Order: sequence, then C-alpha cells, then structure tokens
Amino acid sequence: MVVNDTLRIGVTGLARAGKTAFLTSAAANLLAWGAGRVALPALGPAGRVGVSIAPAGASALPRFDVARHRAALAADPPDWPARTNAASLMALDLVIPRESFGVSLPSHRLRVELLDYPGEWLLDLPLLQMSFQNWSMSTLARLYNLRGPAAAVAQDFLAFSAGLPAGAAADEALVAAGHGLYRAMLIRLRDEQHLALLQPGRFLMPAPGDAPPWIAFFPHSGAGKLSALLGERYDAYIAAAREDLAEPMFGNLDRIVVLADLLSALHAGAAAFRDTQAALGAVSAALRWRATWLDSVRALGHGRWPPRAITRVAYAATKADHVASRQRGNLAALMRDLVRDPAETLLGADVPAGHFAIAAVRCTEDVVWQLDGHPVSAVRGRRIGDAAPGRSYPGEVPDRVPDASFWQHPFLDLPVFEPLRLPDQGRGGVPSVALDELLAFILADVL
Amino acid sequence: MSQRPIPRFELDAAPAPRLEPVAELVLADPPPPRGAVRPALWGAAILAFGFLGLSGVNFIVDQFARGPVLGWASLGVAALGVGVGGAGVWRELRALGTLRRVDALRADFASAEPDRVARGALEWAAIAPGGAALMPALRAMNDPDAMLALLRAGPSAMLRARAEAQGRAAALQVVAGIAAMPSPAFDVLLVGWRGLRLVRQVAALYGVRPGALGALSLVRRTVSSATLVGASQLAANAAAQAVLGHPLLAHVVGDMAGAGIAARRMVVLSRAAAAACDPVPPP
Repeated sequence: MVVNDTLRIGVTGLARAGKTAFLTSAAANLLAWGAGRVALPALGPAGRVGVSIAPAGASALPRFDVARHRAALAADPPDWPARTNAASLMALDLVIPRESFGVSLPSHRLRVELLDYPGEWLLDLPLLQMSFQNWSMSTLARLYNLRGPAAAVAQDFLAFSAGLPAGAAADEALVAAGHGLYRAMLIRLRDEQHLALLQPGRFLMPAPGDAPPWIAFFPHSGAGKLSALLGERYDAYIAAAREDLAEPMFGNLDRIVVLADLLSALHAGAAAFRDTQAALGAVSAALRWRATWLDSVRALGHGRWPPRAITRVAYAATKADHVASRQRGNLAALMRDLVRDPAETLLGADVPAGHFAIAAVRCTEDVVWQLDGHPVSAVRGRRIGDAAPGRSYPGEVPDRVPDASFWQHPFLDLPVFEPLRLPDQGRGGVPSVALDELLAFILADVL
Repeated sequence: MSQRPIPRFELDAAPAPRLEPVAELVLADPPPPRGAVRPALWGAAILAFGFLGLSGVNFIVDQFARGPVLGWASLGVAALGVGVGGAGVWRELRALGTLRRVDALRADFASAEPDRVARGALEWAAIAPGGAALMPALRAMNDPDAMLALLRAGPSAMLRARAEAQGRAAALQVVAGIAAMPSPAFDVLLVGWRGLRLVRQVAALYGVRPGALGALSLVRRTVSSATLVGASQLAANAAAQAVLGHPLLAHVVGDMAGAGIAARRMVVLSRAAAAACDPVPPP
C-alpha cells in the first residue's frame, strides 16, 4: 500500500506505567473499530476508516506483536504483559476517506507508528545533556537527601562512595564492586521504596545480549584515574543510549502520549510521589518538545530535513479503572496539576495538551459499597488467581498535588485484577476507560 | 477528614466467573418508514398476473369446451410458456441468491469471529476458480487473518486481474466503437450497453450469472462499491492510459475527448464490479 503520510507517536512512561498494555489495547481497539465494531465511540462511526497492521518491510526494529499480547489478555486465565526488555515498533495503516469537496479523490493513507520500549530506559534521556561530573554530583546529592527507609537502602553504596579516595586508581575490581553496590541499591529503591527517578535505566533493565564493558560504572565525584575511567564508560553509555533510543525513537516525533501510574505513586507515599513527579519533569524536559528555528538551521546545515515539531501532547494517568468513575475527574485533574510546569514552560501555549484518566485494559466495574456507615463509590473486580471477585476502595484521589495532610491517610496498594473478558477473543476490541477520548484527541486533526 | 472510610479490599463470599464488559449501547439504525409505493406495486402485480392467470385458465376451459384438440393444444402452449417463463424466473432467483450469498460471505469475513471467517473462507474457496487447490492449506490454518490473506493472494487476486483484463478490453472496444459511430448521439447507447455487458461479464467470472433483475441488483451493488474503489482512480487512469497508448487509438482519442473518459469509466467499472462480486475484504 502506498502511504501518503506517517505519524509518529511517542508513548512515554516510566516503568510499569502500562505502555505495553496501552499499545496492545490501542491497536486491538483501532483494528476492531476499523472492522465496524463500536470499540472507540469517541472516534466517530465505526468502519469509516480502514485499519490494518502495517507490513514490517525490512525495518531493523522488531515489530510489536499485537496478536500475541492480545491473545494473552484474552486467554483464560489471562496474562498481563511482562516487563518490556527491548524496544519494538507498532505500525498501523489507516485508510481515511476524504470528505466534502475531496470526496472523489483517493482516500488518504496514513501510517501511525507507536513505540514500545522499557520504561526504565526513558530516564536515560535526561542523561544525554549531562556530563559525568554533573550527573555524579546530582545523583549523590539526591542519595544523601533520602530520608527514612530509602536512606537505609542507599547506606551501603554511600558508605563505599565516601570511602573512596579522591585520586583512586582505575582498578577493575573497585569498579565492579562500586557498580554492583550501586545497581543493587537502584533495584531495591525501585522494588521496595517505589522510587522512579533511578538512573541509568539500563542498570535496572539491561538490553538483551551480553553486557558490554562500558555498562560497569557508578556515580563518583573524584578527579583521579578511577573517575576518568568511569567518565569514559559513562560517555560510551550515553553514546549507546543516543544511538539506540534517542535518535531512532524520539528523534522525529509528531505526538507524545505521557503515561504515569499515579495511583501506585499515591500508595507508595510522599517521597515516592515526589520522585515520580521529578522523574516525569526530568523526562519532559529531556524530550525535544518543540524544534526551535536554530535546530532547523542546524539540520539544514548538516544536509538533513529540519526536525519535526510536536503538535499535540496527551498526559494520561493510567489504571483509572482501579477507582470509581466519580474519582476519575480528580485523577485527570491531578495529572494536569502534576505536569503544569513542563506543559507551560516547554510546550508553549499554542500546542494542545490534553489530560486524561484512562485504563487501557479495563478490569473492574463500579459499585456502591457501604463502608463504616457511609456509601462510597468503589470498584469490583477479580484478582489474578482468585476464584471470587472482590470490592476495592483504595481511598480518595486528590485533585491536585497532595499536601502534607493527605499523607496522614493511607492509600490502598492497587490489587492486580484480571482484565474483563475480551469480546471475540479481543477481535471485538479490548474493554477500556477513556482510551477513545485520548485517541480522539491525539488523532483529532488527521481522522 | 477523620470521617473518611478506611481504604480496604474485601473478597466476595461466592466464587464468580470472569467479569464481562457491559455491552455498549449501540443505537440501531432505524429502518426507513415503509412507503406506500411498494404495496401498491405488489397489489397491481397481483391483480394483473392473477387476472391474467384466471383468464388463461378460463380460456383453456373454453377451448376444451370447443373441442379436445383445441383444448390440449391451448394447454400445451400455456404449459410451454409458463415453463420457459418459470425457468427464467428460477434463473433470476438463483442469481439473486448467489448475490445474497456473496453479501453473506462478506459479512462473515468482516465479522472478525474466527469460526465464521474460517467457515466462509472454506465455502468461498470451494466455489471460486482456483480455490480448490488452497483447501488443504486453509484447513490446516487456524488464523482467520492468514486464511483471508491466502484467499486474497490466490483466487481473489487472479479474479481481479481477469476483471481488469475485461475492463481493458471493454475500454478498447468503447474507444473503437465511438470512432465508428455515425453520430455522437449513439455514444451514450454504446457506452451504456458495453458497461452493462462488462458488469455481467465480470459477474460471470465470479460465478454470478445474473438475468435482468440480477443485473439490476448487481448494478446497484457496483454503484455502491464504486466508492470503495475510488481510491484506485489514479491507477485506473494509468491502466486506461496504457490502453490508449496504441498509436491508432491515441489518434482517435485526440480527436474525441469523450472516448478517453469512456475508456477510463470501463476500467473503473470493471474494478467496481469485481469489488461487488468479491467477498474477500481488501487488505
């Protein structure tokens, strides 16, 4: 099929934000909608636009396996996608009939490309603009500022770091020990303390294959040969991140979808929530939101086309089906409040930004539950592995970045529910919450 | 704030199957109100054919009253007429049934239900030219998308190529015919007749052999599917251009602008007719 145009949508999100589920559901629902099923009502009449999976061609980037992920969600018992450990590309071809005066012209053929990659790698983007010294200083400062249980987790590495002489020799055993301590600390901060701003990303989710030698480094603020070796390895890491992630995936984006699991961050506590906020801010700042005229001149000077401009951004709080519909407005408002600064300062007022509370794969139904004498809006779903469904009331979602009083009350850890049964094994779409509104916003000017 | 209920999760007492999504409320497209024209036409037809039949029976009875030879001769003529007419009606009904079957197969393929798609694929492969060779492969497959892709690449592609060839042949004939017409007034008749013949030829390729009513229904479907093949208008131009590349015809077309348009129409018409008769959805 001859494609008239290509639209690249970057789906960004921290680890476990739900990028793979989002891509699976978006693809399954768009395919069902193209086949005439009422899967995405906000996108208009079903069947008007033809949708098919684009042929892979001779691309070097692996294709996102829509059928496998959809089948896993549809299976009985269902399976959630495992942690993504490699990048892949999902491409759909849309055949859009023309309207009004252009009705007799051939249909517009648009290829929509979406990227899936490990969320941990996203936090490598801010590193592209930092030297080893700057990164080391900021990382060590953050670690020294940790409080409570998180500080205890960082204690071993910080003790090792403080014990290193400023002019330490470039000893491989020393490097291996420091790297091991630093990496173990990152993993514990992620898994036990639910922190998000953890760099470098490949320490948490290594790329497939044997680990190259340059992967072994850690933040260090000395000035000797050890520091020089760590700096060289950091530079090699940055070069690989730029080559593997930044340029092929984030180099030419037209739209961006930013996903964040705010409900889990609310459960993890004030420190984890602030950390999620900082991570989102760092990633937002690292993404090339808009190409300046200087970028265009520079690209033309190098004989390349000017970089594309990002024309639409959607911020989405995921797993919104874990709270009742009454609270989803608050969740979207919380997302809006959380990204207000990046949206206003980096994006500019003329680039449309939408804020949503979505569930790419719906798992629950709304119920009213009598709790402590009060009727509350809750949700009902069946946890993976359970025979009986259960009712969940995780707490109240704030409509803005919570203050100290909010943290006085606990917020429930989100149960891992199984998805609702998929109609026609997923060929009829994937049940979702507000996914159609998000896609309608992102694709509004092309459909 | 102290009145806030404590967050919690509680299991229901009884096990339950996996939750089902609430069916989306789909507003069915209401059928248009039943008009008065169709019943009136039916009434007129019943009156006309009913009284005609009764008159025929009375006539034959009268003929028997005049003499047995006349009676039997009248009955024979009537039986022959009714038999030939009935055969025509039967053929019409069968052609309409085939068209309905194409619609049903198209609905099967668009249903995205694996069983329906597989059943439809086997059914169409059994009747489509060249489809029998694919039956073992189709039976071995369990992926409906792959089955459709195989049908698309096999019988569907071959039939569309043949339809395309029919369209090019019709384009040539139309251009040559327009050049030979004594008056431009006959051009419309020629293009109309050749267009109708082309639609029937393409339908015959797909195993649909329509009579008059079937042809009408087919033309209606062809007009509907013309919007689907609108996307290939540019390619049709290219195909027609290839036909018109003949030095003699190029000269003719140069003299008569309408001939070029008519040729392009034939190419588009062949594609629209193929799309109307082919149940396999485009990729």
